[in-house]
This record gives sequence, structure tokens and C-alpha cells, in this order.
Amino acid sequence: MSIDDELWDAIVFGERAVVARLVQAAVDNNADVVELLNVTMIPALREVGNQFSAGEVFVPEMLSSAKAMQGAIDIIGPLLTKSGHKPIAKVCIGSVQGDLHDIGKNLVAIMLRGSGFEVDDLGVDCRVDDFEAAVDRGAEVVCLSALLTTTRDAMRPVADHFSNRDDVKVVVGGAVISQEFADEIGADGFGLDASDAIRAVRECLGLAGNPG
Amino acid sequence: MPMTSRERVLTAINHEEPDRVPIVIGVSNATGIKMKPYQGIKDIVSVKAPDDYIYDWPELGTALIDEETMHRLHSDVRGVLDLEPESVRRWNRRRDPHSDYIDSWGSGQTEIGPDDWYPAVHPLPDATTVADLDAYEGWPDMSDSTRIAHVRETARRLAEENEYAILATPWLLFPFERAHAMQGMDVFLLNMIEHPDFARALLERIAGYCKELMGRFLQELGDNVDIIKIGDDLGTQKSLMISPRMYRDFLKPVHADFISFIKERTSAKVFFHSDGDVAPLIEDFIEIGVDILNPIQTNAGTMSDLPALKKRFGDNIVFCGGIDTDQVLPLGSEQDVRDEVRRVMQILGPGGGCMIGAVHTVMNDVPPENVLAMVDAVAEFGHYPLQ
Repeated sequence: MSIDDELWDAIVFGERAVVARLVQAAVDNNADVVELLNVTMIPALREVGNQFSAGEVFVPEMLSSAKAMQGAIDIIGPLLTKSGHKPIAKVCIGSVQGDLHDIGKNLVAIMLRGSGFEVDDLGVDCRVDDFEAAVDRGAEVVCLSALLTTTRDAMRPVADHFSNRDDVKVVVGGAVISQEFADEIGADGFGLDASDAIRAVRECLGLAGNPG
Repeated sequence: MPMTSRERVLTAINHEEPDRVPIVIGVSNATGIKMKPYQGIKDIVSVKAPDDYIYDWPELGTALIDEETMHRLHSDVRGVLDLEPESVRRWNRRRDPHSDYIDSWGSGQTEIGPDDWYPAVHPLPDATTVADLDAYEGWPDMSDSTRIAHVRETARRLAEENEYAILATPWLLFPFERAHAMQGMDVFLLNMIEHPDFARALLERIAGYCKELMGRFLQELGDNVDIIKIGDDLGTQKSLMISPRMYRDFLKPVHADFISFIKERTSAKVFFHSDGDVAPLIEDFIEIGVDILNPIQTNAGTMSDLPALKKRFGDNIVFCGGIDTDQVLPLGSEQDVRDEVRRVMQILGPGGGCMIGAVHTVMNDVPPENVLAMVDAVAEFGHYPLQ
């Protein structure tokens, strides 16, 4: 197995059209899309996440890479399903009640999809019932996002709601969220940024934080 | 003999020590107080005043602080703001109260809960070409005199009273944030990468309107102004939103031109508001003529290193703000607030060049007691020489 350097670069540099062309060509040539995903695409997006965490790239570059990745997943998604490729787990994600901010939430959703999870994106202004319904649809992890000090408390009722469900993990993140806050409300995990959110989701499912 | 508030501020922003550290609160959105804590403060200090909003704009949610409360808050500044055109205000007063608020640029806010509005209305989400900008019919009319009809008289009165420093700011003449309002933040940030020439053109188009209104506003102010507030939020909790290279490429020339435009017309100091960790850009701000930096978000990345900021930039820029609205003001005790005010003043205050205020607007989650604890701590412990 070898990394497809051209595709790697196109994802890292957020070249959406190039990513789409390369992935479509791979599909047309009956390439192994599972291998392409695991060996090139996921590590490439993880590299962008690491560069973002390290302050080497910023929000526009991260958005650009995430959008390129989303385009690729749109192409290979149906093939992955058809090939019997199983997602690591199903997770749901939403900005909490009263919060319409979604840039960070969308980034985490794409990173999760790109990392092999099936993501039920509930959008913004999500109430306890919305998360409950997603769990009924099979989500094992509930990811909560909040940007504001005035909306972070809307995470509490969701964390409380699932506190006696061992089969449901709650992971929180967003600009004003800290590990202390996550501990205080009884969340199972905290992601410092989009990249770290993947680690938090994996760890609360008992998986290694950094997939090989 | 104690100084007047105006003398206090003018001394501090000239990098000299006044009688005490000035307090900047209640004069604009970024230095303002939301309605709920304002009501709480009025209750505590037994002030009877109406629940009015700045910019005559309830959906923004920021209170127009009455004079008695401003006095109780020891605020050393008074504001001169603009208004949306009368036609826009009238339309918004008459619209369905739960429908979107739309401003004079065609952007606006959606209601997400009682007294809670979110800037979700973006008129140019799909624009990617200059032709798209040319085709847009919703550009604002900056020549509408009802925007600034009150400005000359308000500023003249404040100058005649000669008691408080005059801080003037027309609403959101912030090119980067205005571009977010026009397109949606994520859309515009992506366009900076995917359609850079368009992104530059949009910023320049916006800057043209900003300059037109600012020019008219400054003409009305005449000499009756001490500080002009502009800005653009460029930081996040941990870092910058865009890279320093991208800032210098896209935005620094726009900001530099805007500041030159202002300084050609007034001797007032330029107050630049930018949230988050903007430490990597402070040298750029100084270079393009920023005199006062706000809000010094002490919980964001390298902005937390106040001694380093003071040492490196303190001779060339005034720090305004510094009291945390993330943890200390909403969640801390009154003693926590007092301790934080003393800490910030002790680091940023020596030699002048420091004004204290909340980082960002005082939001609805802040207990009114903590706002009073903040300003009272400055009044009690902020006298020079600082202890």
C-alpha cells in the first residue's frame, strides 16, 4: 500500500477540484476506495488537523481541506457502503440549543466522516429530544458544540439526560469549553479542536486516540 | 486634585499616568452591557431608567446605559454612535416582530429565542465575482442624513461639558466582519482561498462604503471627539482566524487605508477592537496607526501573557479591556473579579497606556454584582501610583 502523493497534497492544500478529479479517476479505474480512504485520505485530513492544532494553518485552509474531503466522501460513500465497509461507529453531532454557530461543528463532522465514522449531523439549535432521536437511530456518541458562554450551559441537560446510559457517550467542544467544564457537567470527553475531537470520540469508545 | 474623566483618559492614552486607571464601559457594542445585566445593575443601585437599546436596535440586545448608571459605573467615556437610516429603523419597527431584522446592507439577524438574535441573514452567499457585486442592489446609501443627524449636537454637548472622553463609532465599519455578514463567515473565509481576487474586491467595496460614512460622521463630529473606534475580529481562542500572511495580503492594506483616511480628518486616537489572540498582529496594528487596542482577551492564546505584551508593545499602543468575560465575569465571585482587576492593572497599568473594561460586551450570563465589583475595584485600587 502506498500513499497517493497527488491526492494527499490536494487534500492538504484544499484543492477541491483536484481531489474530486483524482478520486473519480480512482473510482473509474476500480481502485480500492477503502484503501484510498484509509491510507491516503484520512491521514491527509489528519495532517491538516495537526497543522491547525500547531498553528501552522488557519480556519480558511482547514475549511478548504474539509470541503475537498467532503467532496471526495460524496463520491466514494456509496461505493464504501456497497463494498460492505463498516463505519467505526455511528455518532451524532449538533450545536446546542440557542447556538446557531456551526463552522466548528461542521469541521468536526467532516473530520469524523473522514476518519471512518458515520455521522448524523443534527445541525444547530439542537434540543435534548433531537439528540435522543439520533441515539434511537443508532448513535453511540453524542457530540455537542457551543461557541458562547451564554449557550454552553445548554450542554448540561443533554449530559444529564444521557448520564445513566452506559451505551451513550457525550463529547463536548467549542471555543468556550474546557476540560474542567466537561468534567463539571459529566461529559465523557472533550475535544480542544477539530482534530482533538476525533481523539476524544475514539477514546470514549475505547479505541486508541491516534489511529495507525 | 482629581482629574476629570476626560483628562484621565487623555493622559492614559498619551502613555502617562493619570490619577487612576480609566474605565471604559457602556459606550458601544463591544464595550457595552446586554440588557439583562443592565437591568440587574439598575435594580441594585436603585436607578429608574428606561430599557433602551444602543443604535435604537433591540435585536442587537445591547443596552443604552442611562447617565446615572454610567456615573455609578465610573465610566470615563461617553459614546457618539450613528443610526441606521430612518427608513430602515421604521421598516424594522413595523415588521412582524419575530421575522428577521434586516439592516441597511441587506444583512441581518434571525430570532433564536426570547431577546436572542443571531446574525444569520447573508445577502451574498453565492457571490464569487465582481459582476455579482455589481449586480447586488442592496448596497447601503451612506449619504442618508438620518444616519448622523444627531451626531453634531451630541458631540458638541459632550465637548462643552468637557467632563468625559468622547468615544465615537459608527456601527460595524469593520470590513472583514462586514464581509462575513454579507456572505456568511465560512463562505467568505473559503472565498479568500478559492476566489482571492473576489474576496479582495468585496473587502475593497465594503471599505469604500465604510469610508464614505466615516467621512460624513467625522465631518459632523468636527473637533469634538477624542477616540474613534473601528476594528475587525481577527483572533480565535487559541490563535488567529487567518494566517498573518493572509492578514497582510488581504486586510492590512484595507485597515491601513481606513486608518489613514481617519487620521487625515481628525486628531482623535484610533481605537481598534479585535477579539481573540491577535498578539501576532500587534506590530502590524502599530505600524498602520492603531493607538488603542481592545479588548485584550486574556484567556486567548498568547494574549494571556500580559507582562510580555506590556513589555513588548506598551510604549507604542494603549491596552483597553482585559477583564475576562469567559470565566471571571460570568462564573467568578465578586472577590475573583476584584483580584483579576488588580492583577491586570498591576501589569498593564504602570506608566499609563491602560484602560480597564470587560473583554467583549457584558453578556446576559454575567451577574450584575460582578460588573459593579469590576468597576469598583478600579475605583478603589486603580489610583496611581499603583500598589
